[in-house]
Amino acid sequence: MQSVNYKTVDTLVLNTLRPPTLGWYILFGIILLCLAVGVSCWTYQILNGIGSSAKSNPVNWGVYITTFVFWVGIAHSGTLISAVLYLFRAKFRMPIYRIAEAMTVFAVITAGLFPIIHLGRPWTFYWLLPYPNQMALWPNFRSPLLWDVFAVTTYLTISSVFFYVGLLPDIATARDQAQSKFRKLLYSIASLGWRGDAEKWKHYASAYLLFAAFATPLVVSVHSVVSWDFAVSVIPGWHATIFPPYFVAGAIFSGVAMVLTLIIPLRAVYKLHPLIRAEHFDAMSKLTLVTSCIVGFAYVTEFYTAWWSKNPFERFQFWFRPTGDLALGFWIMFVCNVVLPQLLWIKKLRTHIGFLFVLSIFINIGMWFERYNIILQSLYRDYLPSAWGHYNFSWVELGILLGSFGWFGMWMMLFIKFFPSVAITEIKEILPVPKRHEDDSH
Amino acid sequence: MTVIKSFDNRLVISVFSYVDDLLRAYTLLKERGFELRVYSPCPIPDIEEHVANFWSPVRVFTAAGAVLGLIGGFALAILTSLDWPLRTSAKAVVSVPGFVVVGYELTILLGGLATLLGLFFLTRVPQIFNRDIGYKPEFSSNKFGLVFKCSKDELKDVYEILRTSNAEDIEVRDRI
Repeated sequence: MQSVNYKTVDTLVLNTLRPPTLGWYILFGIILLCLAVGVSCWTYQILNGIGSSAKSNPVNWGVYITTFVFWVGIAHSGTLISAVLYLFRAKFRMPIYRIAEAMTVFAVITAGLFPIIHLGRPWTFYWLLPYPNQMALWPNFRSPLLWDVFAVTTYLTISSVFFYVGLLPDIATARDQAQSKFRKLLYSIASLGWRGDAEKWKHYASAYLLFAAFATPLVVSVHSVVSWDFAVSVIPGWHATIFPPYFVAGAIFSGVAMVLTLIIPLRAVYKLHPLIRAEHFDAMSKLTLVTSCIVGFAYVTEFYTAWWSKNPFERFQFWFRPTGDLALGFWIMFVCNVVLPQLLWIKKLRTHIGFLFVLSIFINIGMWFERYNIILQSLYRDYLPSAWGHYNFSWVELGILLGSFGWFGMWMMLFIKFFPSVAITEIKEILPVPKRHEDDSH
Repeated sequence: MTVIKSFDNRLVISVFSYVDDLLRAYTLLKERGFELRVYSPCPIPDIEEHVANFWSPVRVFTAAGAVLGLIGGFALAILTSLDWPLRTSAKAVVSVPGFVVVGYELTILLGGLATLLGLFFLTRVPQIFNRDIGYKPEFSSNKFGLVFKCSKDELKDVYEILRTSNAEDIEVRDRI
């Protein structure tokens, strides 16, 4: 970053906060339309009952839980990039971690909606929370579903706090350079009156390190806990000890892909090329490739353990996945998540922006289908043929799935327009310290 | 920040472009016994070494929150299970392995929230409408600030030190 100095970082990043263009309004309009479709479909489902979805016996977990796991997975890599890579002092995280953190918070908010949508009576969702009630009932703390409530709530809270604390000094920079009264007031309130003196920076750096240290175990725990929703049961294809690492690797894989999907247009529209450069894409591509290989290894291991177990139900399930009624989903997953990312072994493609953008979308599709395979295929064909069933997507489910992208996109678009989407302070930290006499440097 | 009420005092706000200039001025003024405040756009190790070389107690808040979360998480799961002793899936009413998740999550949750509380307490934020009269907007951009109080009689000396340390701008505010 030799060609960039403190002032140019401010100029480049604060440029993203300029009044929206026509293109922004058009894209925002499309996103709101998707959200409106989702809201309408959910309203329809509430009015007409959960039968409006395609859920039936035995496939009681359908598109909603698939999409819940998908969004939790997307949320995952934000914390990896912001916290884990911070502890490892990986400098390539600096220009991308803010957008990854924003993605984490908004993806968890999106994910959190789906267990509620999945409920037949969504207004009773608070029954999951441990609160004193007139029937003296408490939730069952031995249930993985309750662990999930704690894991996702903690993840949302800590990710939001980590995100906001990271934003504080950058909002203060935006406040100090804001032109309009509205923005000045907005940033004054949002920055909580932050002014960076040496004493404050000392406490801030200590606190930030502690947040990173606390967020790091969450990278491992959240998706591990989500995987126990499945692994603790006895359904063929679910009852596997490989699930926690398999889910964590898959989550990081999908999250990095989503960061690429978001950061590539952001960089192009706001001309952030001096900050987000080829080496950052190269590093993210390598992370994508590594996690793709782990995910591919997990897929193969699942088949191997099913064969090795000599359990006829396990063997049938894993034979059914690539050859049965829902085989198309399996092959979409396999091609998108394992085959296509292997192209990243080619160095030129690791920094080819157009290729990375298209690949990231394929990976996102592939990762949605991974959860589709795990959830739907196992429930579709479990033990007794008399208990087998079918699943046909309903338009209500597809509308809500589309709406989730609208909901997520709406928050992302608003965030990019109102708050610095690249970390100003942390980029300044990795720039050479301005000194008149370089020889005097320590 | 100590607010000196005497009308004899002046607030000096000096602006620097380079860290080594700022630290030279800081050292000279510190030797003369001034209480100094240093602003920078981001944390700078050299400044921290000279100006804020102390142990931040924010981790005490973190540890307290984490311990409280750990105890609270297990207590919540154990006491509520004993309050409603329903045996499910042949598991013991108090199933410690299952409760580890609750204890673990609440350790992180309360540890994180306590860290936030500690940060706010130690940095004295929020102070949204409390104006810091020694602060300039460029201190969050690309300039470094050295702010201190001095008496009218000391001004000449102070000017000299700041000028020889290449301060770009020196502003003196009267009657603080």
